[in-house]
Amino acid sequence: MDSPLVKDITLFLDDKPSVYALRQKAKNALLATGFPTPKTEAWKYTNVKDLLNTPLEINTDSEVCDGDCCQHHQTEPFIEITFCQGKLHIEEYNTPKGLIITPLPVALYENEYKNYLFNSFDLEKHPFAALNGMYLEQGICICVEKGSHISEPIHINYHQHNCNNQQIHIHNLIIAERDCCLEVLETYNGDTSFPYLTNVVNEIYLKENATLTHYKIQKEAETAFHIALNAVKQQKNSQYKQFYLSNGAKLSRQETLINLDQEDAKAEIYSAYTAKKECITDITTNINHLKPNTYSNQYAKAVLEDSSVACFQGKIHIAPNAIKTSGHQLHKALYLNDNATLNCKPELEIYADDVKCSHGASCGEIDKEQLFYLTSRGIDKNIATKMLIDAHLEEIFALISNEEIKTLFCRK
Amino acid sequence: MTVPLLEIKNLHAAVADKEIIKGLNLTINKGEVHAIMGPNGAGKSSLSYVLSGKNGYNVTKGSVSFSGEDLLSLSTEERAQKGLFLSMQYPTEIPGVVVTNFLKQSVNAIRKAHKEPELDSLEFLKILKSEATKLNISQEMLKRFVNVGFSGGEKKRFETLQIALLKPSFCILDEIDSGLDVDAQKIVSEGINQLRNKDNSFLIITHHEKLLSDIVPDFVHIFADGKILKSGDKTLAHIVETNGYTQFLKEE
Ligand SMILES: Nc1ncnc2c1ncn2[C@@H]1O[C@H](COP(=O)(O)OP(=O)(O)OP(=O)(O)O)[C@@H](O)[C@H]1O
Ligand SMILES: [Mg+2]
Repeated sequence: MDSPLVKDITLFLDDKPSVYALRQKAKNALLATGFPTPKTEAWKYTNVKDLLNTPLEINTDSEVCDGDCCQHHQTEPFIEITFCQGKLHIEEYNTPKGLIITPLPVALYENEYKNYLFNSFDLEKHPFAALNGMYLEQGICICVEKGSHISEPIHINYHQHNCNNQQIHIHNLIIAERDCCLEVLETYNGDTSFPYLTNVVNEIYLKENATLTHYKIQKEAETAFHIALNAVKQQKNSQYKQFYLSNGAKLSRQETLINLDQEDAKAEIYSAYTAKKECITDITTNINHLKPNTYSNQYAKAVLEDSSVACFQGKIHIAPNAIKTSGHQLHKALYLNDNATLNCKPELEIYADDVKCSHGASCGEIDKEQLFYLTSRGIDKNIATKMLIDAHLEEIFALISNEEIKTLFCRK
Repeated sequence: MTVPLLEIKNLHAAVADKEIIKGLNLTINKGEVHAIMGPNGAGKSSLSYVLSGKNGYNVTKGSVSFSGEDLLSLSTEERAQKGLFLSMQYPTEIPGVVVTNFLKQSVNAIRKAHKEPELDSLEFLKILKSEATKLNISQEMLKRFVNVGFSGGEKKRFETLQIALLKPSFCILDEIDSGLDVDAQKIVSEGINQLRNKDNSFLIITHHEKLLSDIVPDFVHIFADGKILKSGDKTLAHIVETNGYTQFLKEE
């Protein structure tokens, strides 16, 4: 491996053989497959050469934060989990009944979590998740017990300030037992002029009838690389709903892999992103309908400016026995500039009869009639344009039912 | 002599390389109400777009001054900020832009241009509520997206609400009576009559004499083939209503 991202995996001190074995397994997978090249189908439109050539270090210090960054005023009624420069703030979580929050370093020593690690995706198909696994150390496990409804959203707050020249790997587990219900919000905020990599893997397990609404707001620094995999396994009648807002990072890839393993499982992915300057934004989904009567819906809206490049690749796979399933995807882009590029690649692999599938894509510029209407009411052209850009994304935000979280999505 | 509010001289304008306004002359003084009647496709709406500075409606000849200033050199928003308002024949739907937010942006843009302090949300909502009630516009409608899913009549009432909030000195009403039921037309006409005073002027484009009996104009112009063929008082509207436009077209 000739990328400076790959280091010696014995660099963590506290190694226990079982943890070491996991890291070794991930490393072997990465060595076997290598990093993606422009010839790798799944990465055809997103070139990671620049990332692979950037010398980024692993920070093995456990103390990196003086706590200042976390002194913000918490106004929303959220259960807070904070990572500073990739390190989890260990604190006493004041959790409601039915919710168990365990730092990954602790969970790694507990047998009950073992079956969940590297189990929702194939290490050999996800090179950056394998890289993440090589450095398995930081992360959080969120476990909701059978029948529990957690009314406050769990907020995982990633402070990526001062992550200069670092590579940060975080591995989270979300385990929702039968009949439970929860909301998880991830926010990423970065502010630096140095490069860094955020590489996150969320392994999500939804048992029978479990419901998870998963929100993510990605506002990394303009110099950042952000690579994320949400790997979701869903049992009977479970529901996964994802809302993703991306408007940061120089290169970002949000990949969502969903296995609808049992009947009546339902997944929805709503994405809104704005891309400026020369940034690359990649939204990739893989939805596997493995059983009858499963449902998926994906809707993405983009605003593309300057020379930005966007890639939306969505694969819907319907297994031979998965009759009466439905899978839909739609992408609508707003171009503010002719230099922006959009690569839209829908893929439908349908091996079953009696299914409903659709995909569509549209792109256009700011509507001249709408702009005229607003300016003819005295609103300055640039403000009116801004209003119409926001309006484009508003259609996604309007689907968010949690008002506090919706406000965060709408905040500029 | 006082400067006319609007002075159009020998105006020629084209849309998509097709000449639509062909030598129009019209002077409107402060406080006057003028009506324009004319057959479909005569260019009435096009004239209103030319006056508001819509892209694609290109003036090829002539001049328009507004309070003595060259109107044609101003952008659409500057014209609005200086007091011109166009109530559109087909108001545009804007999904994703909420009515209340749109109105607040608009009111404050005009206030800012007039060097008046901008209204905060509370002050604005108070005014909005009272004006909306007068026009029989529900609070629910104010939370919706601009014109999206509004009925024809609701769209026209919403245009009237904007006039009430923005208090323009010159309003072009392009078929504000189309799609209105009898009661709604009464509400809209009353709303407009209330705004009528010695400083505000109106240009009413309509096909119906009825509107002109509710908002009585000082002058009526017959407009066909891109220019004014005849001007007179409100009795002209009655002639149109009974005999149509044929006689004016013949006279030409
Ligand atoms: N954007 C455009 N592109 C091409 N032709 C146009 C455009 N706008 C207007 N026209 C044409 O210009 C002519 C005048 O249209 P306009 O809408 O101004 O008529 P009008 O007098 O308002 O008619 P109505 O009474 O039906 O509202 C019509 O022939 C119309 O088709
Ligand atoms: Mg018209």
